[in-house]
Amino acid sequence: MPAMMHSQESEEHGIDLAPMLDFTINLLIFFIITTSFIKEAGVTIFKPEAVTAEHRESGNLLVAIRENGDIWMDRRPVELRELRPMIERLHIERPDDTVVILADRQSNAGMVAKVMDEVRAGGIQEVSIAADPNGG
Amino acid sequence: MRKHLRHTQSPEPSHGIDLAPMLDFVINLLIFFIITAVFVKESGLVVNRPTGIAQAEQDVESIQIQILEDGEIWVDNRAVDVRAVRANVERLSAVNPESGVLIIAAELAPTDTLVDVVDQVHLGGIYNITFSTQE
Repeated sequence: MPAMMHSQESEEHGIDLAPMLDFTINLLIFFIITTSFIKEAGVTIFKPEAVTAEHRESGNLLVAIRENGDIWMDRRPVELRELRPMIERLHIERPDDTVVILADRQSNAGMVAKVMDEVRAGGIQEVSIAADPNGG
Repeated sequence: MRKHLRHTQSPEPSHGIDLAPMLDFVINLLIFFIITAVFVKESGLVVNRPTGIAQAEQDVESIQIQILEDGEIWVDNRAVDVRAVRANVERLSAVNPESGVLIIAAELAPTDTLVDVVDQVHLGGIYNITFSTQE
């Protein structure tokens, strides 16, 4: 019976990898599903505070307006006239995307309005202005 | 001793699949997704922009709030404090419950004030807000 002895021995040797593998693959699937493809603005913005700010699930295109009026999108500064073609292209790629405008506290309302108009002209009607819900 | 050595050095190739390379690959993939996962959750306020005919119709019904360049807020031809916007909106919406709010901001009005006003209007119970600008 050398074969049987051998198989018993090999069971005792080494770690059973199956549960770890199950767990790891579950973790992997979780991360694949939760990864949403967010286009970050790439600058730090001091957002205004608003108690009634709603949480948006699909707000994943971020357009930042700095206090000096610079517009940032996809980690680089863009001109106002560049914004529309960019939005159009992204809207065609993923039509469900919505835009969140990250406007600095010190930025002008006029610039926010211009950016909103460009985004809507680019085909995305769901636009919101980012605000921090913690403040008051 | 000899038996043990023989066992460790020549595992049977016919038994089962070798999981090690698959495990390496899966863990690499896992690390990649953990690193690239960005948990950005933005909260925001939704406002409308005036569009053609809708604006003309709304102007008659809506409560108008003006924001001047220096952040001064005018409701109903009176300059009011940010904290008084809510009370004013509640009063005016009680008179005409169907009405929305039209915010007319100066081009240079600060966004902070704009968001504060939108927030106060929301607290006053109106979510139909149109945001327009004026030179």
